[in-house]
Amino acid sequence: MTKGLKAALVASVALTCAGGVALADDFDYGSFPGYTLRVKLIGGTQYENLYTRIPEWEAMTGARVEIVSSKNHFDLDREIKQDIAAGDISWCVGSNHTSFAPQYGDLYIDLTDWIPQSELDQYVQGTLDSARVDGRLVQLPRVTDVSNLYYRQSLYADPDNQARWQEEHGTELAPPTTFDEFRDQVIFFADPPNLYGTAFAGKDEGASGRFMEILRANGGDLFDEDWNPIFNSPAGVAALQWFVDIYNAGAVPAGTVNYTWDDIGQAMAAGQLALDLDWPGFAAFYADPDSSKIAGELGFALAPVGSAGVRGAWSGSHSFSVTEACDNKAAAVSLAVFLTNDDSEMMEAQAGNLPTRTATFGEVIDWFNANDQPYMADMFEVWQGSLAEARTPPLIPQWIEVSNVLWPQLQAAIVGEKTPQQALDDAAAQAREILEDAGIL
Amino acid sequence: MKFLRSPQAAPFLLLLPSIVVILAVVAVPLLVSFWTSFTPYNLTRPATLYDFVGWRNYRRLMGNSDFWWAFGRTVVFITIALNLELLLGLGLALLMNNIRKGERTLRTIMMFPMMFSPILVGFMFKYLFNDAIGLVNNALFDLYIISRPIPWLVDGVLANLTIILAEIWMSTSVFAILLLAGLLALPKEPIEAARVDGCNPWQVFRHITLPFLMPFIFIAMTIRSLDVARAYDMVRIMTNGGPAGRTELIWTLMVRTGYQNSQMGMANAMGYVSILLSIFFTVYFYRKLVAARSFMGGAQ
Repeated sequence: MTKGLKAALVASVALTCAGGVALADDFDYGSFPGYTLRVKLIGGTQYENLYTRIPEWEAMTGARVEIVSSKNHFDLDREIKQDIAAGDISWCVGSNHTSFAPQYGDLYIDLTDWIPQSELDQYVQGTLDSARVDGRLVQLPRVTDVSNLYYRQSLYADPDNQARWQEEHGTELAPPTTFDEFRDQVIFFADPPNLYGTAFAGKDEGASGRFMEILRANGGDLFDEDWNPIFNSPAGVAALQWFVDIYNAGAVPAGTVNYTWDDIGQAMAAGQLALDLDWPGFAAFYADPDSSKIAGELGFALAPVGSAGVRGAWSGSHSFSVTEACDNKAAAVSLAVFLTNDDSEMMEAQAGNLPTRTATFGEVIDWFNANDQPYMADMFEVWQGSLAEARTPPLIPQWIEVSNVLWPQLQAAIVGEKTPQQALDDAAAQAREILEDAGIL
Repeated sequence: MKFLRSPQAAPFLLLLPSIVVILAVVAVPLLVSFWTSFTPYNLTRPATLYDFVGWRNYRRLMGNSDFWWAFGRTVVFITIALNLELLLGLGLALLMNNIRKGERTLRTIMMFPMMFSPILVGFMFKYLFNDAIGLVNNALFDLYIISRPIPWLVDGVLANLTIILAEIWMSTSVFAILLLAGLLALPKEPIEAARVDGCNPWQVFRHITLPFLMPFIFIAMTIRSLDVARAYDMVRIMTNGGPAGRTELIWTLMVRTGYQNSQMGMANAMGYVSILLSIFFTVYFYRKLVAARSFMGGAQ
């Protein structure tokens, strides 16, 4: 045995041991010297921090990662669809999302065939379940989104507000626990143009998803078990009426029907909103005095329940998938697991994202407390409490298409062009046509 | 083989590379997309490319009021935007033509909006006209002109006007540059002769400058009417066709149908119907161009 070979062997054993200690799990990341793994990953500041760990995986496995595409998720989705249409899948790992995954058919492998159960057991099981399409685990979740309430503590602590609320409603002023209270409070706090009660995403899947959340909280759902659209039920009409009520009361900015998450985040950080039902990623932004006017007064509360006494808990996860066409699935799976292992999830959690590994929650709460960021620890405790009820949109390929006929009708009702019943009936008829064309109905 | 070696074959052989390139990048995609408009082609189910459904997509479009509203709105959008861009571009070109100092710097500054991508323009105008934190409403509040925020991107009329304004800001300089080129090429003698004969500035403009500029105007109109679909990215960012379809243009509808919903067959059918629109504008402007050129040639 030559000296060089000995040194390489010792180094690889040492690296494996070090890796084993550092990662504290049993997954074998394998060795793929000289192999180049082509990947298409979601781009953007909040997502790319994780990719700084890729050199670590490259050093561990001897493979090299080539990022052939890095785009926002809508552009990436478009590109992946073009790849499917062209029959040109020359890459192995792709960023995915629970809302998008059902559209891609058999593009991605079932990861349960490649990852030991002991490894899969370390993920949050509800999150992992929502990553399955037709029973196949087509993606490994990296972060989860579920919405809870951000509120401004100063507004609730204000004696005038407390007295006025007590006089009007006969109860103590506290963060809302039901959607009825939520509606009453956003109307109560609204003092446009200086302060609005809240704002909501008024277009794209953001609008459809929030409607779905309130619909489910009211005991309804989008489809029955045979996939008949039933969101035009009384529960659906009541959910849409909630949006109409706060819009007509001027408790939300009129432009909210065009808002997406960024607009809402900017408005909340500018101190223009009293409450915001939103994803966990905004916590760090709202709590940063350099970017936010409400940094010192940020409160967290669980999302309200609807008339059925449950939370809608609209949820979704960003994830990684491995293609069927990949020429080295072991390497691709290895990278997907590495980017969602304990260390990766800790990195995601420290940036304010909800991790997908059970162990990370406790660790990151301790870490934030130890690093003098108790508000972030509070946020994780609140958000973790809603994960048990988290539910994704229907995991069918037609969800985005149905969403695209639903949100314009929601807008039509909100801006007063149609009654909620008319709007939902029209959307249900269009959704039925989509599902009939797809052969589901 | 004999023909290929004959002198008559030379033009065909020389043109062959161009013909192959044009076939590859224009004709083949056109034919394939035309075929897909007769199929239920779904991007994520490539096998659907071979399911012929006849005129089904076109029949559905005929009865689709959302599509026809978007179609009509697109015609109105193009008509208003192009005409206003022409007027403002002409005004800018005339002003620039009279500047004797620093004209190169000003010409460069005038071209700035053309250098922005439509996506950036969309974000810029979206934030300018945001009803809660937008610059416009804040300025109007500070000047005590309004007491309640104006929902610029929500109201049906205001939202469309705001989009037209963004489009005009982005593209007026295209007209200005093309028309300025026309003004710089304008012979001085007829103008000087007209002045000597006692014509006032309006008469000079109406009877000499404008007729001379007409071919440039129609070339600019033709280019812009084909290029105006660049506004898609801007509208996508500002309203994505909403709220409630109030700003839906045929481009936002087509992209949503083709890419987000994966229904490329239906989206291509929409595309072929809207191609009629492009052909109409192109033919119209070319006929005007030919008429203007024959006028300049002294035929009339």
